[in-house]
Amino acid sequence: MSTLTIGVVDYGMGNHASVVQSLRDIGFRVRVSDNAAELDLVDVLVLPGVGAFPAAMATLHERGLVEYLQEKARQGRPLVGICLGMQLLASASYEHTYTVGLDLIPGDIVPFADHGVHIGWNTLEFTQHGPLWSSSDGEAFYFNHSFYYQGPAEYQVAATRHQSAFSSVIQRGSVVGLQFHPEKSQSAGKTLLKNLITGLVHA
Amino acid sequence: MLKKRLVGVVTVKNGWAVQSFGYRRYLPLGKPECLVENLDRWGADEILVQVIDRSKMGCGPDFELLERLGKLGLETPLIYAGGIRSVADGVKLIQQGADRIVVDALLHDDLVSIQELSEKLGAQALIASLPLSWQTEGLGWFDYRSQISTPFQSEVLGLIQSSVVSEVLITDWQHEGEEAGFDQKLVDAFPLKNVSIIAFGGLSKAEQIRTLLQTPSVAAVAVGNFLSYREHAIQKYKAALTGMPLRLATYQSTFSLMASTDV
Repeated sequence: MSTLTIGVVDYGMGNHASVVQSLRDIGFRVRVSDNAAELDLVDVLVLPGVGAFPAAMATLHERGLVEYLQEKARQGRPLVGICLGMQLLASASYEHTYTVGLDLIPGDIVPFADHGVHIGWNTLEFTQHGPLWSSSDGEAFYFNHSFYYQGPAEYQVAATRHQSAFSSVIQRGSVVGLQFHPEKSQSAGKTLLKNLITGLVHA
Repeated sequence: MLKKRLVGVVTVKNGWAVQSFGYRRYLPLGKPECLVENLDRWGADEILVQVIDRSKMGCGPDFELLERLGKLGLETPLIYAGGIRSVADGVKLIQQGADRIVVDALLHDDLVSIQELSEKLGAQALIASLPLSWQTEGLGWFDYRSQISTPFQSEVLGLIQSSVVSEVLITDWQHEGEEAGFDQKLVDAFPLKNVSIIAFGGLSKAEQIRTLLQTPSVAAVAVGNFLSYREHAIQKYKAALTGMPLRLATYQSTFSLMASTDV
């Protein structure tokens, strides 16, 4: 039995402790780094994040991580973005000012109508099905955001209803974005992370 | 559908978790970490840690407490309140593990900083604390540093209405700690009808919480002292509130998720 190693990409936005703890609780080995050589040694990359999109992209550029993440995604390395990390996977965001993202999953990050926010526990309704997601359909997860992904339906894996339905899980190949916080979603979050990460590696 | 939330509150004074009664009498409960760990284990929807002596003493947020809480590996969203003096304080709290922060003294002192915090962190990270009481001329907004209630300033209401903060925490400070003490009038008379409210202070009875949860503007109810009297209080409240738009009660399992999986 081998243990998967997860690389949490450290780019200075938000606190990684909960993500790291959650992954370790599941049974994964975890490395936190912004160093390409160290991240090269992991099985799955996780991009967490809290804060504003423009500042996050600026930091990724400063640390030379934009090209690195784009290259790894092209090579098929599993990459999971969480909350702001999911939004960074998109083509661009309209938060504060128009900012180009990692462009790994085509689509834009746009604000909810009337400066709305989406805070609290809400359910996932999967539009694509499979072993990665079967345990999480209809489960409630913790959301805390005011922008959301808008893009082609083919990349939408799950939707959540707030004002109207929006994409709460997106996927393009081995790149997956989660708009909610699985690390703050108690047992439902751990189950989803475990199934997703093991599923991506063994796909 | 977005669920309404049952928030567990831990009040901290002089480094100790306390039961608080009407903002004037306190009884020690123990280490804050122990209470927070319980709420996490019992499946609270959010945990609010409010450190009530930091602004009064002018000593800023309790970063050491936050660091200790971070080591618990909480799986529940954490809201921090207490001593936030500046944009730098707020940003540092989020960087150190708070999911959301509550501003109180800043609402009286420095609205520009709240605006700036919102731009840096997003409105979803910010909650405005409004300790209120019902007075002959209407709602009184309490400043716990001066111990004086005044009517709302229009600038403050304007800031809240402009979505700089995501929610308001309405505390019935006079009835805090009093069984079934919460005055529903504080919510009903709150002048901004499109703002999400977290109600707190003197909430103990399921029926009282049910009435609040049936109020459209109430997004969450927060319970403090009354979670300290029994084990698994969150699950028991949720069981008593069946039919309300709350997340189902969760029960922690000690079984490893990886036990039967080759990873």
